Amino acid sequence: MTLVKEAPARPAGKRRPAAPAAGRRGRRRENLAGYLFMSPWIAGFLLLTAGPMIASLYYAFTSYNLFTPPKWVGLDNFTTMFQDPRWQKSVEVTLKYVVVATPLKLLLALGVALLLAQRRRGQGLYRAAFYMPSLIGASVSVGFVWRALFSDDAIVDRGQKILGVDVGGWIGNPDYVLYALVALSIWQFGAPMVIFLAGLKQVPRELYEAAEVDGAGPVRRFWNITLPMISPVLFFNVLLESIHAFQVFGSAYVVSDTRCGPADATLVYTCYLYQKGFKEAQMGFASAMAWTLVLAVGLVTAVLFRSQKKWVHYEEAGK
Amino acid sequence: MTTATSPAPRSTLTRRRRRGGSLVWHLGALLVLAVVLYPVVWVVGASFKPSKDIIASLDLLPTEPVWANFSGLADGISGIPVSSFFVNSLMYAVLAVVGVVVSSSLTAYAFAKIRFAGRNLLFTLMIGTLLLPYHVLLIPQYVLFRNLELIDTLVPLVAGKFLATEAFFVFLMVQFMRGLPRELDEAARLDGCGHLRTYWSVVLPLTRPALITSAIFTFINAWNDFMGPLIYLNTPSKYTVSLGLMMFRDQEGISNYGSMIAMSLVALVPVVAFFMAFQRYLIDGMATSGLK
Amino acid sequence: MGTSRHVERRTVLKAAGAAAATLGLAATTGCGGDGGSGDGTVTLRYAWWGGEPRAIAIKKTIALFEKKHPKIRIKPEFTDYEAFWEKFQTQASGGNPPDVFQNAVGFLRKYDKRGVLMDLKGQADAGNLSLENFRNGVLANGQVDGKQIGIPVGANTMALVIDLKAFQKAGVTPEFGWTWDEYFTALQTIQDKLRIAGDTGYFSIMYLYDLYLRQNGKAFFTDSGLGFTEDDLTQWWEDGHKRVKSGLVADPKKVEQVKPKSALSAGLAASEFTWDNFSIRYEGEGESDYGLAPIPTGDGKDTGQYLGSLMLSAFSGTKHPEEAARFIDFMVHDPEVGTIMGYDRGILATTEQYDAFTPTDDNNKGVKAYEEEVAAAGALGKITPHPSGADVVEAAFLRIGGEVAQGKSKPADAAKALFSEAKAAFAG
Repeated sequence: MTLVKEAPARPAGKRRPAAPAAGRRGRRRENLAGYLFMSPWIAGFLLLTAGPMIASLYYAFTSYNLFTPPKWVGLDNFTTMFQDPRWQKSVEVTLKYVVVATPLKLLLALGVALLLAQRRRGQGLYRAAFYMPSLIGASVSVGFVWRALFSDDAIVDRGQKILGVDVGGWIGNPDYVLYALVALSIWQFGAPMVIFLAGLKQVPRELYEAAEVDGAGPVRRFWNITLPMISPVLFFNVLLESIHAFQVFGSAYVVSDTRCGPADATLVYTCYLYQKGFKEAQMGFASAMAWTLVLAVGLVTAVLFRSQKKWVHYEEAGK
Repeated sequence: MTTATSPAPRSTLTRRRRRGGSLVWHLGALLVLAVVLYPVVWVVGASFKPSKDIIASLDLLPTEPVWANFSGLADGISGIPVSSFFVNSLMYAVLAVVGVVVSSSLTAYAFAKIRFAGRNLLFTLMIGTLLLPYHVLLIPQYVLFRNLELIDTLVPLVAGKFLATEAFFVFLMVQFMRGLPRELDEAARLDGCGHLRTYWSVVLPLTRPALITSAIFTFINAWNDFMGPLIYLNTPSKYTVSLGLMMFRDQEGISNYGSMIAMSLVALVPVVAFFMAFQRYLIDGMATSGLK
Repeated sequence: MGTSRHVERRTVLKAAGAAAATLGLAATTGCGGDGGSGDGTVTLRYAWWGGEPRAIAIKKTIALFEKKHPKIRIKPEFTDYEAFWEKFQTQASGGNPPDVFQNAVGFLRKYDKRGVLMDLKGQADAGNLSLENFRNGVLANGQVDGKQIGIPVGANTMALVIDLKAFQKAGVTPEFGWTWDEYFTALQTIQDKLRIAGDTGYFSIMYLYDLYLRQNGKAFFTDSGLGFTEDDLTQWWEDGHKRVKSGLVADPKKVEQVKPKSALSAGLAASEFTWDNFSIRYEGEGESDYGLAPIPTGDGKDTGQYLGSLMLSAFSGTKHPEEAARFIDFMVHDPEVGTIMGYDRGILATTEQYDAFTPTDDNNKGVKAYEEEVAAAGALGKITPHPSGADVVEAAFLRIGGEVAQGKSKPADAAKALFSEAKAAFAG
């Protein structure tokens, strides 16, 4: 696929030109350059991430209350954890949240991004307005609003009554409150929307024009040009939004007035981890939880990365 | 608004079709707008309600708007001028933005554009750091910064940003750089540009939407960050806005929710301003990139 | 700390300083240090939780102290309750807690066990801190295993806060010594006449169950565990659940919705059990008038009540134990501090401060009258020093009680869950 009409000095017909300075010396220079560019990350990783990560991995196999030295307990934390009804509850709540919230949020974000990618009057204003929820999302005031919107006789309740559904407010109801949380997540579609928009802007106009000349309709243009062209960004959003959904914390904390309830109905995984680590000072247990999450999300990530060969289109050949 | 390319001359038929589409477009956009803005309007309305009406109040707007919530802020919070919280938050947010943009783009360039030994392994490691919940790193990191005697300074809050530990942004930029036409930087390399030149004059300008996106997200995250400042800052005059907000809460007495909402609204102003100032570049990115 | 490590740390610091400078951070790099300086001035970090009025009052008392002790500087640190303990735990585990801080009975053993709290007896013996003149024996609230690890600044007790208008309309008058039966009959009258619930959810409040148990010769906590049986609790929660179903106790779904407002001030119910010095919040939140009523009894006499306290504690590792003790001494004994603080942290704990302050507003007058009545009505019991992990058990009690109320957990299963969680908490 030709992407750039006047790419300067591109060797004709050569898909993968040799590296500028081929050979062993060139490779060594590339290695050096790579590590130099990476040096901030490497320093940060070694100083701030690797140490704490290894520490927490060790804690996962200990009983550790933060004050007395950790005591090795082998797999005890994990066996306790798997039998802990609250842990099981947190897994159930989190999975439900991830599965419902992520696709809905991304669909909305992509839909609105496509809408906003068209050049219309006032589009800048719309864009800013749609991003508003993400700006205030972490603010304490959101807790108040959300509780008010999803209470008895508030707008959501009145809306659902018109539709003939009468379950009352969602906030105090253990069976529904999680969906108020899901709604909060979807409402904050601004971040993936902006990323989609930025991605859409990278698609060269010429491709659409060429397709239009070929007589392709909007649907075909979307499937054949837009989707492949923004697939790296789509992949990024899918991956990151799922990871974020697995780690959701702030909104559960705010909506449920810091307790992740009622009746543990919004006890998302990280909230339970937080309670164990910071309220109950069971760092061993919390670390075991953390690493279980890392493994689980890592698995999901690996599957997604595996799958990207099938549907993600990169300009750079191979990885 | 500048647009990327001028469309080819169109027939009147297409133009008419576009006008019809325009109506549908605006209807759709307005619908989304209404849903999205309802809660926002609620917050604004709440800030003009008397404090005791805010919680559990179902009305969108106050029956009789009061200014007390805002005027109360002028006296400061717990004896600390409100401006001090803003200056502190601003300092934190600006440093965070600078740190993230510089360090993440360098790192991302290496991942996306340089073939070096161990790249895949390091990339996997970096993605791995995304998976670890932040809370388990908190205590070991606290001990580290305490041993460096950096508690009660901004250093623990921004050090990670300057060291590209925010894998989210590195990853975002990698995805963008990998999406860039390979021919461009290869051409630059063939012209004899070193990596630094290629990074600076070819790749960086093209990655501008991602840089701006990262900058916006970083600014907002830093501005709203609660846990970091809570753990690392001790002196109330060094507190950020998000910590200042909590001073209105009182489990044992009267919580001043009115001022809390008013302040959280005022706290939005810099964030919205930052977003408004830079969101334009998200879109103009391609127009100015020389990639026409 | 050895010298070699010190040098090493210096070098690291220098490197970090250089790095910070290049990052443009030099200006914000403060001195975390030990607070000592060349001219003999000592700096103490003083931390508390609470709202704005408390912060403003305490700052005044600090200014007063600094004026009288020019060689001691106080650095205030404050935030709300939840954030306070999260931050405190991080700081304490990192070896960096404040020198002096506000404390409560639920955290004494926990942080004593972890070696964070200073035994202030030594400082009292050295004459830096007076343990005299504490009212009603509240000094004992800060004692654990013969150590004085907290100095009470105030005293308070549980009370029944009632919606005065609702009680009046229903024609119900609470009296000292009324029994639980009489109390629930009163709630029934209110429900019949006013169509609102009587109570907001009494059976999830650990401190109220504690009183009930004390009336029956038990207590919620022993020194190391729970002072009641699973059957006791099953019964308590079964009764509670029955009263939710009958509407005597407010619908937990609605109670949840109005949080962080209290269901009492939201008008969902006519009464709520809480600490008497918290009662000021209802006036600020609700539309009605509120007053304090006595705790129901089992036998017409014993309410099981005792005086609880907020206290001040010092960090065992502080570099300035003497100054910390002098500061605490000033804060609990100085009459002027008493007039500034008022009953913000409960009725003032020492006679010097109690005598110096005369409440002028209705709320504080009410609290004072209530506590005098309670003290006059019978012997106040002694507080049980809570075992380490009590804070976790309290949170669990509230949460699991909520599950019972919502019908999400059967009382018997709920009691079992609480016992199993308590076991883990005490072990931690």
